[in-house]
Amino acid sequence: MDIKDKTTGPPAWLALALDTQPLDVRPVLAGGEDPFTLVMGHAEGIGAGQAMVVDAPFNPSPLRKVLAGRGFSSYARKLAEGHWRVFFLHDGAADWERQAEVVVMPEGAFTWDEDDGIHIDVRKLPPPQPMLAVLRLLDGLDGGRAVIVHHERMPHFLLPELAERGWRVARLAEEFANVRLWLERAP
Amino acid sequence: MMPGGFMMGAHSRLLPLPVPMRFFAAAMVFHPLAWAMLLAGADAVPGFRGGLGPVLAGLHLVTLGVLAMIAIGAAFQLLPVAIQRPLGPTWACGLAWWLYVPGVALLCAGLATGWVPALHGGAGLSVAGLLLAGLLIARCLIGATGFPGIRHHAWLALASLLGLAVLGLLLAVDFRTGWLPDHTAFAAAHAVLAGYGFMGNLAMGFTYVLVPMFVLGPAIPDAVGKRTGLLAALALALAVCGALAGLGWLAAAGGAVGLGAVGLHFAALRTALAARMRKRLESFFRLLFPAWVLLPVGLAVGIALALGAEPAITAPLWGFLMVFGWLLTFATGILQRVMPFLVSMHTSARGGKPALVSQLTADRPLLLHAVLHGVALLLVALGIIIQSVPMVRAGAAGGLAGALALLAFAVELGCRTRAHLQDNPPFSQGHT
Repeated sequence: MDIKDKTTGPPAWLALALDTQPLDVRPVLAGGEDPFTLVMGHAEGIGAGQAMVVDAPFNPSPLRKVLAGRGFSSYARKLAEGHWRVFFLHDGAADWERQAEVVVMPEGAFTWDEDDGIHIDVRKLPPPQPMLAVLRLLDGLDGGRAVIVHHERMPHFLLPELAERGWRVARLAEEFANVRLWLERAP
Repeated sequence: MMPGGFMMGAHSRLLPLPVPMRFFAAAMVFHPLAWAMLLAGADAVPGFRGGLGPVLAGLHLVTLGVLAMIAIGAAFQLLPVAIQRPLGPTWACGLAWWLYVPGVALLCAGLATGWVPALHGGAGLSVAGLLLAGLLIARCLIGATGFPGIRHHAWLALASLLGLAVLGLLLAVDFRTGWLPDHTAFAAAHAVLAGYGFMGNLAMGFTYVLVPMFVLGPAIPDAVGKRTGLLAALALALAVCGALAGLGWLAAAGGAVGLGAVGLHFAALRTALAARMRKRLESFFRLLFPAWVLLPVGLAVGIALALGAEPAITAPLWGFLMVFGWLLTFATGILQRVMPFLVSMHTSARGGKPALVSQLTADRPLLLHAVLHGVALLLVALGIIIQSVPMVRAGAAGGLAGALALLAFAVELGCRTRAHLQDNPPFSQGHT
């Protein structure tokens, strides 16, 4: 899997977006609803050269890729544990790829790279596609990097397969319809 | 988060491991007893058309004691996890076991000996246990939105369970009173509902979940599950009405529609298997493939029986191929994969070092079971066709030896699980 490391700083256009009132989707996610429609509706009203800011519990890289397709550059900043602020600028997506390089796997899962490891978002995929996507990613990995799985349920059926491959769930964050698992190679 | 509960919080659908394992353990014990009954009643197997005795007891030890037992244990654990719906309180699952297991033992003792109080008491307890299990599964299915194909088969299985329970109670009472107009016709309808309706639909539904998961293949499309569910419902309605009304052509038409459902089922499985990530098929497929061959073979024999061809041969052969050939082969194949899988899943979820499926599985007894089971099927089927009691007896003895080999596998699995738990206590892992 070709996922590049990036250590780029904030973009020059960030100053344009800093004063924008954030759209906080964390309560929506905590309520078990997908905020995608809400965000896309909000983005409809953003004109060329204007900014939009979204607060989310994680870096929503798949959303950033979708909005890049609508002409938005983006930049994400982690403010606290479980609190990310993503800045969008409607500029034709000239700078969209900044920290939002997303690879779409054959099963439809999104993967992207962050400082804490390789993220894979398997939400909305029908079983057993999430399991296949995670295992395909793990089978293609070299080295000791962690993998962070974004799931909408506890993937109990995945656990025996992880164990057979020498991986384990090191940490778990569980909210309604939003489960994150930190996978690492077993010692 | 406390140690031992890493992923077993409020949102978890995992039951305590002993709940499903108790059902599997009972199935492992009833399995050799069933073959032993067949061995004891071998002289009555060729030409068997029903009636109290060891053969009928052996048949019910397989259907109720092994097949339904495995189905309940698997459904209790796998269904809530798969469809993300709660099953019900753990005590209710335990109560179902306490009603059902003694009920099956008592009923089969009554069927073998003709002792009416055991027959009636066992039938009552078994039906109570089955209905409680059915209620828990229905509660889990109500409100579920995912897996529509699987839910169709599950609902069909539960409807069949209700029908077979009512017919089974009528048949049990009829052994004493003789008030049913045609005991054989009711027994045939009961067999269709039990074999194809209840167990068959559960087997199809579980196959759609388990086979893609175990081979790491793509999901079976929901549309396929809906189509096979619809065809199976039509097939069952035709076959049961035909059996009860004594209309052989109607029952045969049901069998033909059933063959259509099986064809669609196999086409979908073939697609999933062809696109699988795990290239080397695991050992339990040496039972699944023969089971899948014997399903349409049994249906074809059933159609021949419905059309009146050699009932002295086709009646016992149909029952044997359906129950021992297809369902028992399939269920024991799935069970030998599911048991270590559940242990691994639970040890992973409780934290600490997980037990590996590959380390829990003792392959030698499984190979022995597969060989002996295959020989047993062949000999008993041939014995029924050529009316040879020694051949049936030899086959039943082989089946008994194979069942004991599977029991040895289960005991070894228990020993390995216990050793793993003693060597690897759970530890607290991060949970936010």
